[in-house]
Amino acid sequence: MHTNDLINSSRRRIVGAGLGAAGLSTLPIRAALAQSGELVVAAAQPITGVFAFAGVGLHQGLGDYCDWRNQAKGGVAGRKLRYVGEDSGYKMDQAMSVFKKLMGAHKPPVFYGDSTAWAKAASKEVSQLGNTLTSSPSFASDLADPTNVPYYFMAGPTYTAMGEILLEYISRTSRGATKPAVAVVYSDTEFGRDPIAGIKAKAQALQIPIVQEIVTKPGAVDVSSEVAKLRRAKPDFVIFHGYVLAPIPEFIKQMRESGMSTTPMGTIWSMDQTTVGAMGAAAQGWMGVMPYRYTYDTKDAPTMQAIKDYAAKARPDMKYVPLFYTHGWLVGMIFSEVMERVLKAGKPLTGPNMKAALESIDNWDTGGLTGLLVSLKGHQIASGRIYAYNTDSKLMEPASGWIKTA
Amino acid sequence: MRIGDFRASYVHDEALWPTRVQQAWLLALAVALLALPMGVNGYVVGLACMVGIHCIAAAGLNIMTGYTGLISLGHAAFMGVGCYAAAWAAQRGVPTLLTLLWAGSLAALLGVVVGLPSLRIKGLYLAVATLATQFLLVYVFREWDSVTGGVRGVNVPNANILGFELLSDQRMYYLILPVAALMLVGARNLFRTRVGRAFIAIRDKDISAEVLGIDLLQYKLASFALGSFYAGVAGALLGYFYRAMTPEYFTLQLSIFYLAAIIVGGLGSMLGTILGAVFMTLVPEILRAVVALVAQWAPRATEVLSPMQQLVFGLLIMGFLVFEPHGLLEIWRRLRRSFHLWPFRS
Repeated sequence: MHTNDLINSSRRRIVGAGLGAAGLSTLPIRAALAQSGELVVAAAQPITGVFAFAGVGLHQGLGDYCDWRNQAKGGVAGRKLRYVGEDSGYKMDQAMSVFKKLMGAHKPPVFYGDSTAWAKAASKEVSQLGNTLTSSPSFASDLADPTNVPYYFMAGPTYTAMGEILLEYISRTSRGATKPAVAVVYSDTEFGRDPIAGIKAKAQALQIPIVQEIVTKPGAVDVSSEVAKLRRAKPDFVIFHGYVLAPIPEFIKQMRESGMSTTPMGTIWSMDQTTVGAMGAAAQGWMGVMPYRYTYDTKDAPTMQAIKDYAAKARPDMKYVPLFYTHGWLVGMIFSEVMERVLKAGKPLTGPNMKAALESIDNWDTGGLTGLLVSLKGHQIASGRIYAYNTDSKLMEPASGWIKTA
Repeated sequence: MRIGDFRASYVHDEALWPTRVQQAWLLALAVALLALPMGVNGYVVGLACMVGIHCIAAAGLNIMTGYTGLISLGHAAFMGVGCYAAAWAAQRGVPTLLTLLWAGSLAALLGVVVGLPSLRIKGLYLAVATLATQFLLVYVFREWDSVTGGVRGVNVPNANILGFELLSDQRMYYLILPVAALMLVGARNLFRTRVGRAFIAIRDKDISAEVLGIDLLQYKLASFALGSFYAGVAGALLGYFYRAMTPEYFTLQLSIFYLAAIIVGGLGSMLGTILGAVFMTLVPEILRAVVALVAQWAPRATEVLSPMQQLVFGLLIMGFLVFEPHGLLEIWRRLRRSFHLWPFRS
């Protein structure tokens, strides 16, 4: 056979196999679901791409919760959960494509997306379909809006609420007549800018002076001029938002080198144990807001114990359970609670019914995963606690009680 | 086996699709495309819509880069201009078809401004100039809150044709399909005209083209305007399709995506544009479908194999560039030739 023929023939086989796989991939599940009445929890997870550091944990946490729920409680209202998650690459196109694919194939009552961009793009379609409750790792402030984004909730406080919790902590721990000065450093992204107006408003209400506001690129490397500005402003606290790691360590390192005793603070995505550990020496004195307990904090927290035990059993190679896993687990808990309330009331799993069930969640005990009883009336869990890094134990340890925002 | 193509008149000779076989295939394709939403689920229709939008945008870039030799790295930004222009107009009740024209025209106008440096610079230098445009326009998208919604983005009302609201992907498909068909056929026809041939002459050797009497200023700017018009219309359709948009969508990565599409498909060919857009849209989906298939039996496969998808996709693109530098188009041509010559030579 001619070389070209060989190549052509192979190509045909590969393309054919790919197309066949694409078509076949949805068929067996769909048939099985129709018969078994399983409840599908679908997700477009950022397993690859720039948010992959969190995506794998989110995927594992949500999937493991579904398995745990099936084993420990027999599913939801007698129906087993089935988790179907695909990679979104943290790209809006791809996330929407996964969303449409899984919605078409499984008609899931609940869907977990990957980003703010996805949540905004999908919200109109979700509203028009009216049969799915959604969530994502986005804590964007304008998504906690029961009127305009009715079928979306977030398993934590909005970024604005996180800033408010930090400021509450600063206000409550301040001594003397003068309130500590605060600087805000944020990335020039939708994520970074989100809470800034809210932080300024809250600071004004608490009479905390915002002495410096600095915007940087998300992964900025050279921050010497920004640190010089901070040195001149002499803040007592610097709130970093819109970053995961870089450029926070560089900021802290240069601040320390220039003799500043400012306390650096962060929000949820900069608070994972491994992320803080990666800061190295700069982690000393690092504080921030966390809406959940860390998984090593299992005292009076049966859910955290369950997470720890299940992760140890199902993922023996996992040395540390990241906060992303905990977040995924909590999203699974909320999805299940909502579906259970609707099904137990004998109603169909429609968007309006699930929204009503979501908003009926009040004083809900998460088994210690969150410090306070949870209310989801505002489609967010507006509470958190300040944790500080202990360089001796190399753990994030509580620095405050649980703080609830309005 | 076809033994010849006898052309007996100028009309026949000038036809876009001169043979009956071509016309029959085209008719079959048109029928299949029209019937597609009736036979497949919403996911496939959504993918088809994205392929259509990518085809229009890639065609615009191919006009500039593939046919005129003007490298642009700012194509995504022109799509953004179209998308925001459409959102602005649609929010004010402008009919959808007029909105598409408005979005394309605004992008074309900006294209003319951006194209001005092309008179003095070309090649990599022009690429850098358009790269600057990319960053500049994205900056405008992020900062011009009152029009673009800033970093929070903008909502785009549903497309509406004569009072018929295009609520679903199925309905959007019937807007995107004819627009894409019209624009692709228009582009193909363009290169049979004086304007199109002038573009090609500029690409092959601009000094020679000028000696032949081609006004470089006029034609280079026309190429930029036309390519940007296509990007603007594609951006508008994208906005209508997703109904919401943030500036983070129109990144340099998207511009590279289109550049990759036309290179993989085949530079300087509308068929290559379509093949490239289809390849770049569908291959990641097929790879993900394979992972999903494996994940049914091995639940951890998603975590392990997902990162491999990008590797495989990258290797596929590299493979095409190494083994088939003329792109998918050349493979298509070989395939056609083997059908034409069968059974004597395959």
